[in-house]
Amino acid sequence: MTETHSGGCQCGAVRYAIEGPLGHSGFCHCRMCQKAFGSLGAPLVSVPHAQFRWTRGEPGVFLSSPIVQRGFCRDCGTPLFMLEDGYGVIEIAIGTLDDPNAAPPHHVVGIESKLTWADSLPSLPAMRTDEDRTPQDLAKFTSLQHPDHDTETWPIK
Amino acid sequence: MTNPITGGCQCGAVRYRITAPFENPHICHCRMCQKAFGNYFAALVGTKKTGIEWTRGQPSIFRSSEIVQRGFCKDCGTPLTFGYDTSERVSISIGSLDHPEQVTPAIQCGIEGRLPSFALLHTLPGTRTEDDIPPEEMKLLQSRQHPDHD
Repeated sequence: MTETHSGGCQCGAVRYAIEGPLGHSGFCHCRMCQKAFGSLGAPLVSVPHAQFRWTRGEPGVFLSSPIVQRGFCRDCGTPLFMLEDGYGVIEIAIGTLDDPNAAPPHHVVGIESKLTWADSLPSLPAMRTDEDRTPQDLAKFTSLQHPDHDTETWPIK
Repeated sequence: MTNPITGGCQCGAVRYRITAPFENPHICHCRMCQKAFGNYFAALVGTKKTGIEWTRGQPSIFRSSEIVQRGFCKDCGTPLTFGYDTSERVSISIGSLDHPEQVTPAIQCGIEGRLPSFALLHTLPGTRTEDDIPPEEMKLLQSRQHPDHD
């Protein structure tokens, strides 16, 4: 049986499917990935074009350089991919996989821009969401996020 | 810290200036922040809603739950804000700041969603961009990103 993966944006307007094994995974700290992702950088996994297809909607694209496309959802903003001309792969944002554990990172790149505090994050004090919110508050968190699997129709409600 | 504090999206269609103090710099591992940011976690810092001035454009909003609005740039996707309807405060994505090195997260939240990959990151070998990309290709990678200043 062929290995398959699925994923998409937060609101579910854009969904994708991957048939076959995932390629190399890594985390990029470069300043362009930081700003595109609004974060420390970008976790990306390579997928050959032939294994990848959009199954619902299509992403918006920003050309962050003349040869680099960055895809995102126009309806909710989720950063979805990076694609450089001439490469046979699309690099998918790992957090958008329905199972982000399927792509553990092998290396980090772009360390010239790595934030000084990046490596200290695992040692920070930590708490669960239910330690941080009252049960009354949690009851109001009716998620409008697309579930981590494909759906026939969306929104469901 | 530079004053005023500025930031915005990758393409520059949305820019902001912050005049109120920062509070509660944190990262959130919850599954909703993961998917919204396409990432292992979200890195956020709070401030007063009245302390943000949108100096160019406005963020678009996705309501990720009944009581939460997430702001982003509709032209390039950059995740920009997270806020509760009823709160006087809003969180800004640290990576969208022009100087993210000036805000250090102090706590991890939502650790029920924390991914095993997160603990791996700081143990992995790292390379610089110019070590991975040949000079002739670097010339083609001219940035179209808005500069890190107004």
